[in-house]
Amino acid sequence: MAEQHQPAVRLRSLLNSRLGGWWVAGVLGFITLFSAIALLAVSGWFISAAALAGLALASASVGHGFDIFRPAAVIRLLALTRTVGRYTERLASHHAALGLLRDLRSRLFRRITQARRLPLRTPGAMHRLVADIDLLDQFPLRVVLPWAWASLLLGLLLLWLALLSPGLLLVTLPGLLLAWLSPWLGYWQGGRLAREEVAHAEQRREFLLDSLELLTPLLIWQRWGERSAAFAGQDRAHLQRQDRQQRLSSRIALLQQWALAASLLALLWQGWPLISEAAVSVPLLLAVLLTLLGLSEALLPLAGSFVALGLSQAARDRLNSLAGEAPQQEPSRPRPEGPWRLQLHAVTARWPGALNGPDNIHLQLEQGETLLLQGPSGGGKSTLLQLLAGEQLPSSGECRLNGQPLLHWDVRQVIGYLPQDIDIFNLSLAANLRLGNPQASDEQLWQTLTDVALADWARAHPQQLQLQPGELGSAVSGGQARRIALARLLLAERPVLLLDEPFAGLDATTREQVMAALVRRQAQGLLVIASHQPIMADRLRVLPVGDG
Amino acid sequence: MSDPAETKSWLRWLLAPQQRLLNAALALAVAAAGLFILQSWLLASLFSHWLLAWQAGSLASFDSSFWWPWLVGLPLCFILRPWLQYGRERLSQRASLRVRQALREQLLQRLAMLGPARRGLGADAELGSRLLEQVDALDGYVSRYQVQRQLVVIVPLLLLLATAWHSLLAAALLLATAPLVPLFMVLLGQAAANASQRQFVALGQMSGRFLDLLRGMATLRHLQALDRAQLAVEQAAEDYRSRTMRVLRMAFLSGAVLELFASIAIAMVALYLGMGLLGMLPWAQGEIPVPYQGALFILLLAPEFYAPLRQLGSDYHARAEAEGALAELLPLLKLELWQHPGTEPLQLQQAPVIDCRSVGIDLPGAAARLCPLDLRLAAGERVWLRGPSGSGKSTLLHVLLGFLPHTGEVLIDDLPLDVVRRSDWHRHVGFLAQQPELIPGTLADNLRLAAPGASNQQLIAALQEVDLWPLLRQLPLQLATPLGERGLGLSGGQLSRLALARLLLRDTWVWLLDEPLAHLDPQTAELIGRLLERLSRGRTVLLVSHETVGLDWLDRQVELQEGEHG
Repeated sequence: MAEQHQPAVRLRSLLNSRLGGWWVAGVLGFITLFSAIALLAVSGWFISAAALAGLALASASVGHGFDIFRPAAVIRLLALTRTVGRYTERLASHHAALGLLRDLRSRLFRRITQARRLPLRTPGAMHRLVADIDLLDQFPLRVVLPWAWASLLLGLLLLWLALLSPGLLLVTLPGLLLAWLSPWLGYWQGGRLAREEVAHAEQRREFLLDSLELLTPLLIWQRWGERSAAFAGQDRAHLQRQDRQQRLSSRIALLQQWALAASLLALLWQGWPLISEAAVSVPLLLAVLLTLLGLSEALLPLAGSFVALGLSQAARDRLNSLAGEAPQQEPSRPRPEGPWRLQLHAVTARWPGALNGPDNIHLQLEQGETLLLQGPSGGGKSTLLQLLAGEQLPSSGECRLNGQPLLHWDVRQVIGYLPQDIDIFNLSLAANLRLGNPQASDEQLWQTLTDVALADWARAHPQQLQLQPGELGSAVSGGQARRIALARLLLAERPVLLLDEPFAGLDATTREQVMAALVRRQAQGLLVIASHQPIMADRLRVLPVGDG
Repeated sequence: MSDPAETKSWLRWLLAPQQRLLNAALALAVAAAGLFILQSWLLASLFSHWLLAWQAGSLASFDSSFWWPWLVGLPLCFILRPWLQYGRERLSQRASLRVRQALREQLLQRLAMLGPARRGLGADAELGSRLLEQVDALDGYVSRYQVQRQLVVIVPLLLLLATAWHSLLAAALLLATAPLVPLFMVLLGQAAANASQRQFVALGQMSGRFLDLLRGMATLRHLQALDRAQLAVEQAAEDYRSRTMRVLRMAFLSGAVLELFASIAIAMVALYLGMGLLGMLPWAQGEIPVPYQGALFILLLAPEFYAPLRQLGSDYHARAEAEGALAELLPLLKLELWQHPGTEPLQLQQAPVIDCRSVGIDLPGAAARLCPLDLRLAAGERVWLRGPSGSGKSTLLHVLLGFLPHTGEVLIDDLPLDVVRRSDWHRHVGFLAQQPELIPGTLADNLRLAAPGASNQQLIAALQEVDLWPLLRQLPLQLATPLGERGLGLSGGQLSRLALARLLLRDTWVWLLDEPLAHLDPQTAELIGRLLERLSRGRTVLLVSHETVGLDWLDRQVELQEGEHG
C-alpha cells in the first residue's frame, strides 16, 4: 500500500489515543513490580542483617545499635504499595484498553460506512469488528507494558549489581540477558502462528454461520453430517493452532526460567569467593539472590508477548484491509427541486457478466405520472431501477432528471429505491420505520402502516409498534417484510420512488388499496414500479422491458 | 439467571472425561511444590553456613565433599521445577482443548436437532458467537482454575507444615490470614459470575447488531440513516465496554484483597523473624525463637504460601467467565426435550398418505403459532394451502418436517411421524423454502449440496427442466459460475428456478413447497407451475402460496384461518 494512504489502524498510534491512561498504568505497574521484588529482597537482607547483629550482640556485651525501625517501615511501605499498586494498575490499564477498543469500533464502523462498497462478505466483517478489535488491546497490555517494566527493572538490577560489585554483575549477566532476550526466539514463529490463527478464526466463523444458515435444507438432504464433520475438522485444526502457540509460549517460559536458574547458580558459585574477598556481605548477597528470584515475575510475562504481538499485527492488517482507503470527499452537487420530470434516451445497461438488461429504453415521465415496468424475470427491470437509483454499472444513453443528467444532481434526498433484496433490521418495528424518518410521530407511523396494509397486522400483535421482527425478518413473512421496507421508504418522503416488486405476496384487493395510497402520496412526484402484477392508476404508463 | 448448582453440575459433567489429564497435571504441580521446599531448605542452609562462617571469620577453603548436597541439589531443583511446571501447563491445556472441542461438537448437534426451531434461541450470528466465543471462554477454567483450585489447598498445607517445623508462631501468622481468603472469594466470585454472564449477553448483542447493520449497509446509506446506525453501534460498543469493566473491576478487587493479605503476612513474618533474631521481641527479650537458618527458610517459603491463592484469585475470573458462558449455553444444552423422538425405520415405495389430526402449536414465547388443524392428503394428492400472512402456513411445513414439537398427530401411511426416524422421513421429502439458501461457491456446488453424486449431465438436465440452462449455457463459466452472497448475479426468478432444479435433483415422494412461485412474473410462474404439475405427478404435495397464477392444477385448496394473537 502506498504511503499516501492513511491506514485506519496503526499499532504505534494505539497508545496515543489514551496516552495519559497508559502512562498512569505504566508507572503504577512499575511501582507494583518494584515493590514486590524489593519487599522480598529487603526482608531477606533484614533478617540476615538482624541475625548478624544478634550474633554480635550475643558475643559482645555492647549493643551494636542496629536500626530496626527504618527497614521495618520500608517493608511495611513496600507491602502497601505492592497491593495498592497492583489494583490501581490493573484498573488503569484496562480502563485505557477498553476505552481504546470502544473508540476503535466506532471509528472503524464509520470508515466502513463511508466506503463505497463492502470489500468482503458480511459475517467476516462482523467477525473483524468484534473479535479482531478485541485483539488489539494485546499490544499495549501484553507487549508494550511488560517489556517496559521488565527492561526497566532489569536495568535497575544491573545498575545496582555494578555498584555493588562488578564481579557479581559479570557472573549473573549472561543468564539475565538470556532470560530477557529469549522471548525474541518466538518473534518469527509466534507472529506466524498468530497471523494464521486470526485468519483461520475468521474462516471458521464464516463456515459456521454459512452452515447455520443452511441448517434446515442440509438436514433434509442428509448432508448435515458431512457439513458438521467439516466444521469439526476446521475447529480441531484451529484448536491445534492455538495449542501450538501455547506450547511456544510455555517453552520460552521454560527457557527463561532455566536462564534465570543459570544466573542464580552462577551467583551462588561465585558467592563464596566474593564473600571471602569481602567484596560483598552475606545479607547483600541474599538480597541479590532474592531479587533474581523475584525478577521472574517481571520476565516471565514476556514469554507470550510475541504471540500477542503477532495477534495484534494480524488483527491490524485485516482491519486495515477492511477499512480500505480513506474516503474521498465527494464534490458538492445541487439538489433538484420539483416539478419532477424524468427522461430516458436510448438507455442500455448491463451488470458485468449479466445476460439481460434494459435495451435502448426511451421514456418521458412527468410529475404525478406512474410508470409500470413490465417484463419477464431477469429481463432487466431491476437493472433499470438500479441504474436510476444511482448504482454504478456499465451503461450507455442518457438519464435526465429535470432536464439535467442524473450525475449532475445530488439525489440522496430525492430518490427512494425499494430493491429486490430488502433489509429489515433487528430492531423494533417502530425503530425500523424511523430509519426512514427519525422525527416521525406514532400517528405518522400508523398512517403509513395503513397505507401499506400492515396496520391491522401490527395492531393484532400485543407489542404493536414495539414488535421485534427478528433478524432478516425471520419472524415476519416475506411479503410483510417487503411492505415494512416500503413503509420505511414512504416515511423518508422521497419525491421520486423506484419500487421493485412492492406487491409480492399481496392479494388483488390489498394491492389496489396499497397502489391507491402510493399514487396519492406521489401526486407531487414520480412513481416507478416494476411488477409482475397488473396495477391500476389514473395516469399510468406501461413500459415493457426485455422481450416480454 | 440459571441455577448455580445446575451450572456446576454441567461443568463437572464436561470435565469428567478429561479428569485423568487434570489429575496428572495436579501431580506434577504438587511435585514442583515439593521441589520448591527442598530448594528453599538448601538455600537457607547454605546461607546459614556462610553467615556463620563469615561471622566467625573462618573463611574455610572450598571443600567439595562438604558441599555436595548443595552442588547436586540446587541445580536439580532449578532445572526440574520449571520443567514440571511446563508439563503441568501442557497437560491442562490439552484437557481444555479436548473439553472445548467435545462441547462444541455437541452443541452443534443439538442445533441440528432443533432445525428451523433454533430461531427461537436467537439469530444465527448470536448462536454462532455462542458456539465460538462462549465455548472458548471455558479455556481458563479448565486449563488453569481446575488444577489451581486443588493446589490452593495442597501447597499452602505443605508449606505450613514445613514452616511449623521451625516456628509455630510464624505458621500461625500465615494460617491466621488464610481462612479469610476463601470467604472473600466466595463473596466476590458470585458477583463476578453474574456480571460475567451479562457481559456475554452484551457481546452476543454487539455481534448481532454489527452483522445486522453491516448486512443492511446499502439500505442504511440509501435512507441516509448511517448516523443512526453509527449511534446504535456506539451504544452497543459502549454497553460492552462498561459491562466488561464491571466484570474486571470485580475480578481485580478479589485479586487485590488476596494481594493485601499476602503482602501483610510476608511483612509480618519478616519483622517477627528479624526482631526475633535480634532478641528484641517484647515477649521474649534476649531470646532467639527461630535461628537464622529456619528464619530464612520461612521467609523464602512465605511468598509461595500465597502464590497459589493469588493465582487462583486471577483464575477465579476464569471460573466466573466459564460459569457465565455456560449459563448462556445451558438453554441450548438442556433442550434435549425437543428432539424428534422417532426411531422406527420408514420405507416408502410410493407416495404416502399424510394425515394431520388436530395438529397445532401453542408454545409460550415461541414465535411459531398454529391453530389446531385437520388435514388429510391422500396418496399422490396435491394440496394448495392458503391463508393470510402469519397464519402459520410455514410453521405447518416445519411440523411436517419433524422439527417442531406439536399437539395432535401426524400420520404418514398410518405411521405416526413422531415414531419414525426423522432422517428416514427426510430421505423422502423435498422442501423448498421461501428464500433459496445458497452457499458461496459455484452454481454446481450449490446444486450438488442437495445431490452430491449428481453428474454434470444430471445437473444440466435439471437446469433444463426449470428453463435455466439456455441462459446459463451462455455464461463463460457455465456450471462453474460463482454465486455471490445472497446469490448475487441471478435475478430473483432465476434463484427460485435454481432452487427448483435442486429439488428436482432429489427424486422424493413428498414435496413440501413454501411459496415456490413468489417473485416470478406471471408468464414464468405459469411455466414453472406447469413444470411443477408435470414433475409432481404421483407425489404427495403440500404447496403453500399466496399467488394464484400457475396453480390451477392443484387437486384441492385448503384455507388456513388467521392465527390468534393475544
